[in-house]
Amino acid sequence: MKKQPTRRDVLGHVVRGTGLLVLGGAAVHLVRRANAEGAWWIDPTKCVNIRLGATGVEVCDLCATDCVLPLSAIRAVNEFSECGRCCICPAYYDVRSEVGPDGLPSRKLCPRDAITREAIGEVDPEDPLNNFYEYTIDEDKCNGCGACVMGCKEPAGLGSIRLEVRYDVCLDCNRCTIAQVCPDDAIVQKAIDLPGA
Amino acid sequence: MDYRQTRVISGKGTGAHQFRESLNGIGFDPAGRLYAVGDREVKVFDGEGTLKKRWETQQPPYCVAVRDDGSVFVGEAGQVEMFDQSGNRVGAWEDADRFGTVTSIGFHEDHVLIADAADRCIRRYDKTGKWINDIGKDNNTKGFLIPNGYLDFSVDETGVIHASNSAKHRVERYTLDGELLGFFGHFGMVRPENFPGCCNPTNLTLAGEGKLVVTEKAGPRMKVYDRDRKLLGFVGGDAFHAECKNMDVAVDGQDRIYVVDTVRLSVLVFESEGGSKP
Repeated sequence: MKKQPTRRDVLGHVVRGTGLLVLGGAAVHLVRRANAEGAWWIDPTKCVNIRLGATGVEVCDLCATDCVLPLSAIRAVNEFSECGRCCICPAYYDVRSEVGPDGLPSRKLCPRDAITREAIGEVDPEDPLNNFYEYTIDEDKCNGCGACVMGCKEPAGLGSIRLEVRYDVCLDCNRCTIAQVCPDDAIVQKAIDLPGA
Repeated sequence: MDYRQTRVISGKGTGAHQFRESLNGIGFDPAGRLYAVGDREVKVFDGEGTLKKRWETQQPPYCVAVRDDGSVFVGEAGQVEMFDQSGNRVGAWEDADRFGTVTSIGFHEDHVLIADAADRCIRRYDKTGKWINDIGKDNNTKGFLIPNGYLDFSVDETGVIHASNSAKHRVERYTLDGELLGFFGHFGMVRPENFPGCCNPTNLTLAGEGKLVVTEKAGPRMKVYDRDRKLLGFVGGDAFHAECKNMDVAVDGQDRIYVVDTVRLSVLVFESEGGSKP
């Protein structure tokens, strides 16, 4: 004959269940915290491609070449709210290339042709210099080489383009291979609120 | 034609003649005194570069201009403050809808012209402060293309406005009514007569004999063009701090050129070799 649970038994189940819930929640919190602390991040005050004052120097492309992934986890990101929508964007054009008959530089800057532009607003089709342009970075092509970031940096540009780690791609290696070679120690681990973490 | 630097006025520091954080605009009064505005102050220097007077402004100033009657107009965010020669505040034009960021002021007869870099146009007012019309706004981009955030212009004796449209790499000419008369300038990184980068020239002023003086950023340069807009000469290299941008420029009665180094917070004076009159 099955023994009826006593009030003591019921209370014991409740206490044990609550304890398990608390322990589970704490474990989830600790895992999330550990993940956040382990996220690799680019310090904009250190990265030579981003930091102000570093002008007239060579672009550093180690983020593109030294990630363990075939296409680096680092991408260039254009902050639209800060973009000047220039006709001759020094991140889009190789401004040192020969000027064509249309008055525009003949070559683009991005070696992977990852930046596209589109005239916006009331477009003047006759004169390309007479329009605003929206610049979009194709993340399937961009490898984070930093050329456009350096091109857009103040005072040549407005500094609207920066490099960011794409956390949906980054493998979060214990020893990031880019961080090991970065000459500016700009790849660091930082507590970051990751989406979904 | 070669230009050489002959003097440096002011600089970064805490002295009365220096600026602590910003030096944005310069201009001359009819007596040849130099007015420089930055931080929250107007400073007045004599022909030798000695500080003669200083007073505070209500807002951080972007530009300064002095009318023939000696009235000092200071451009700020949201307003234009007026002072007499002693620095007494005599009034202000406040027009929240039309004065976003006032970066240049000019005069022609009874008209006052005010550049609003926020709305990317030049506004014409009568001497009482009544708005008459906008200049440079009647186009497909609804204003000048100035990603550098600074709109500068100068008015010649006939009332033609010469304005920098920096992202178009042009200096455009307008009537007071806003009609575009023409422009000069092309983009180019190689030939010095062209305008490089994303947006140049950033600042300009007219000089004697129809000359035009402009400044550029990245890298910073000062260039002088003759009446036909042929390049007469330029100064670049180490003359200015490499991070300078939006360097205001003015010319005195002897055609000496004054350029603001916006990083070192100083005014550099240039003269053409062989005398100040080229």
